[in-house]
Amino acid sequence: MNGVRILDALSRVPQELTIHIIMVVVSLAIAIAVSIPLGVFLTRPRFKKFGVVAMNILNIFQAFPGMAIIALTMPILGLGLKPAIGALVVQALLPIARNTIAGLYGVDSSIKEAAQGMGMSEGRILKEVEVPLALPVILAGIRTSAVYVVSVGTLAAYIGGGGLGNLIITGLNMLWVEFLIVGAGFGALLAIAFDRGLSYVEFRLTPPGFSTK
Amino acid sequence: MIELHDVTKIYDGQTVPAVEDLTLKIEEGETCVFVGPSGCGKSTILRMINRMIEQTSGDVLIDGKDVRETDPNQLRMSIGYVIQQIGLLPHRTVAENIGIVPRLHGWGKDRVAARVDELLELMGLDPEETRTKFPAQLSGGQMQRVGVARAMAVDPPVMLMDEPFGAVDPIVRSRLQDEFLRLQREMRKTICFVTHDINEAIKMGDTIAIFTKGRLVQHGTPQEILSHPKNEFVKDFIGQDRVVKMLTLFQVHNIARPNPCIIRENELPDIGRKMQQEQAPVIFLVDDSGKPCGLITAEDLERETANGAGTERLKELAYSKRGAFIGGDLLLNDALSYMLEWDTDYLGVMNGRGLAEVLSMADIRECACRKEGDQ
Repeated sequence: MNGVRILDALSRVPQELTIHIIMVVVSLAIAIAVSIPLGVFLTRPRFKKFGVVAMNILNIFQAFPGMAIIALTMPILGLGLKPAIGALVVQALLPIARNTIAGLYGVDSSIKEAAQGMGMSEGRILKEVEVPLALPVILAGIRTSAVYVVSVGTLAAYIGGGGLGNLIITGLNMLWVEFLIVGAGFGALLAIAFDRGLSYVEFRLTPPGFSTK
Repeated sequence: MIELHDVTKIYDGQTVPAVEDLTLKIEEGETCVFVGPSGCGKSTILRMINRMIEQTSGDVLIDGKDVRETDPNQLRMSIGYVIQQIGLLPHRTVAENIGIVPRLHGWGKDRVAARVDELLELMGLDPEETRTKFPAQLSGGQMQRVGVARAMAVDPPVMLMDEPFGAVDPIVRSRLQDEFLRLQREMRKTICFVTHDINEAIKMGDTIAIFTKGRLVQHGTPQEILSHPKNEFVKDFIGQDRVVKMLTLFQVHNIARPNPCIIRENELPDIGRKMQQEQAPVIFLVDDSGKPCGLITAEDLERETANGAGTERLKELAYSKRGAFIGGDLLLNDALSYMLEWDTDYLGVMNGRGLAEVLSMADIRECACRKEGDQ
């Protein structure tokens, strides 16, 4: 262990961590904006038939190794942060879409029937009944994606995306254990922080009627 | 008034109709109970009335207007709907749940709040305590009450109830039924009520429609159905005890006779003379405070006097029937049960103040036979 190198690595953390967080937050936001509407769409009776196809495509995306996705986006989107985010979005879609669908299907059909029987329109049932009741499951999907994106995000450095991956790559290239430890350690801490943070959000957004059970 | 004309429903991918050629008329203010085994199509009929299911052919009319002419959501907003699972929104409070339909109608906040409190009170729930609770904090019976309150929120003239009391235990169910009957006597709504329990049908229905395999077998008043079951299916469905079931249609004061013969304890030595004088088949013993405490029949008296029994023996005999007193609002089948329990052919019928009438086994038999006979 070399004390100077540890300090050197730590001094680069604020910048790389910021980039990493931006990368994760942006790709999660895009993934949420795509996946939740997709999940809602695929649970509507009219469009149910597309469900299997859509989920299989997402499954294939998910099955690609993170490294490969990142490498594959390079020829299309070039180098830098943008292609890295693109690759992360692709990887983050599935858990959120899958949980959105599971959450919406999990809403007790008698509750939906009662809502329909009272004369609530489809849109109103979605907004006031289905989404609130599916929210805990959807948020769990977002958590899964977040942790995933934080870790795959370290690979973004290979295509010039920056982030904590830079520290790890430097460590590997120079065989500096200190850089490896600092880069990987902060990556892990960031993943835990996202998980805990989102779990708190989940707790706050869970419909109050559920917490009394 | 709800009318169904030649209504048939065949579900997609099936060849056997779920409901076939149904023609049925439910008068204004009438409770019609649809009853039949599972899968007989009774819930399907209910849902065709509020267009949750569209019929394959035929017409459904409410107050002479084809339901297909109204927007489904508007239609449903004007029909109360209660299902067995209740379907309260678990993330909304009781007040918010009851307020759903009024808010769909665009009522103001204060009007909704006032109506919620009114309904909670009507349903025997304390508004202060209940309105801010979530459904998960309520008991089964309370949930059902909230479910019914929610369906009645905008006072709809028509209500559809699909096994509304099916999910609670028998004691709570019976209480909910009684309360709902009491409400219905005042509200006179037009109600379609689905159940698979013939006893509930007899209790709740002004008329009963019995279904099997998508077809209407018999439609009539409970009395018509019990006394003239149309075929073996109806007979089987009603059960072996159909005459006893018929007794559930009458209360004790419908057939009990007034002016029971009464004797005080200190008059016991005179009992023979008194009974002869009044020509009564039974005499009730009352204590000094006027509280009835037993009875002696003419037969018993004759036998005991022949055996030379004294006052003490007669008193003992009377006291052995000390439980043979019932309320006038009891149903005849329950009264019959009392008679068997206390091994007596006579029961004293109490009103608020004291002994008012006498009910005899002969009266019950006559009632059962007479009702069996007339149309």
